Amino acid sequence: MTSLDHGKFTRVTTTFHSLLGLDVFLLFFTGYSLTFNDELWWMLSLMGGPQSVTALHRAAGFGLIALIGFWATLMITTDTGRSNFREIIPTGDDVKAFIQDVQFALGNADERHPNAKQFAGGDPDEIPLLSYIGKGVVFIFAAELFLLTISGLLIWSKTGLMQYFGTKTAAMGFVVFHGLLGVIMLMGVMLHIFEHGLHPAFYPVEPKAYIPRELIPETHADGGIEDLTLSPSWSTVTAIMGILTVVGITSVMIGSVFDEGYPVPREISIGGGPESLLLTIGINAGMFVLFVGLVLSMYGNLLRVRWERQLEEERSQPTAAADGGHPESDDD
Amino acid sequence: MSYQDDLPETKGYSKVSVVISAVAGLALAVVSVWWAAGTAVFYEGLFRVSPTVAGGGIGTDWVVGNTVPWLDFLVAIIHAADVLMGLFILLMVFIHWAAFRRLAGQMQQPGERSTEAVATDGGETE
Repeated sequence: MTSLDHGKFTRVTTTFHSLLGLDVFLLFFTGYSLTFNDELWWMLSLMGGPQSVTALHRAAGFGLIALIGFWATLMITTDTGRSNFREIIPTGDDVKAFIQDVQFALGNADERHPNAKQFAGGDPDEIPLLSYIGKGVVFIFAAELFLLTISGLLIWSKTGLMQYFGTKTAAMGFVVFHGLLGVIMLMGVMLHIFEHGLHPAFYPVEPKAYIPRELIPETHADGGIEDLTLSPSWSTVTAIMGILTVVGITSVMIGSVFDEGYPVPREISIGGGPESLLLTIGINAGMFVLFVGLVLSMYGNLLRVRWERQLEEERSQPTAAADGGHPESDDD
Repeated sequence: MSYQDDLPETKGYSKVSVVISAVAGLALAVVSVWWAAGTAVFYEGLFRVSPTVAGGGIGTDWVVGNTVPWLDFLVAIIHAADVLMGLFILLMVFIHWAAFRRLAGQMQQPGERSTEAVATDGGETE
């Protein structure tokens, strides 16, 4: 199980990450079936139409606020939490890691910078807790979730907002703002799924986000990436998922330009946005990538359960091999 | 596969027949929906909620047009941010994709059995 890598998350963090993911996926599916209702009409119907979808979105929004409140409190009030703040500060090495990644991708560098490595390999001291992209994820997602929560709360009660701004459309303008803001997060999550689902050493999911650090022996990952065998399906699946991710990101980006939150277009030309078959396919491809992320999250948790059980069995019968049998190897 | 020696042998299905059956299943689904919809399945004609004001779509009664200048500006800013961040995120996808391909090249290829004491999953042999 070398592909476990060094553990990074504590047990609480793994649970929080899974719950946050579930909640954000629900917010995406409900919110963007409204914003992109031209392209995701089926999703809107599937979840019971606009009224049901807005109710689900609010319920998930409530969950998000609770999760953010929990995490902020935990990070500020505990020593472990406070010690994390130093780890997320971007340094010059992160800039170097980004540049070296570009060079590595172009074939001009022989290996990735330690601040870019997801596969720790040898010495855990060389590899920081968060890669440069990990820090980016923490900062961008935190800022996005904060702004989305604030703007979401502002539009929670449209009548309340109307008292401030006088018109119904001003209130709906905030809805547009909220939806467009989330597009950045939507695209970022697609990158996140691609990045952590399709790394050749971890494919199909990085267990370190689901298996708590305390359950991963630190000696298991000695050796380099050249000791690992590539999964037979990696090339095909990565090609397909890469294309879907690129198409999905491009499509929601283009969609965000045109579908600026029907029913309030900036000009009074009302039609519900461009009805393009290509954009419809593209945005649905993006939703499929999100769905894959949801499945991978479940799979990661399944791996954790199996790993816990395996570890328990191995550790509770240390002398099992003394009877002439051989100890089970963990080759699955 | 020696570790499977004592497991029962069962009659399975060939890859080709699985693929053919999957294609047949998909074809059946497409054709039956196409037929049930009166041979006129348009990509958004299936279960469409009326997306227009005339059709009485969501929030039709809100539609007047946005009249708050700074809110309009805010929306324009976010549009720009979406496109800029979108392009940056795409760049990151491509960089990682390329990096992953190089990393995959450094790994042992499937089927290639190393004579070293390395288990097939890359873990250490015990």
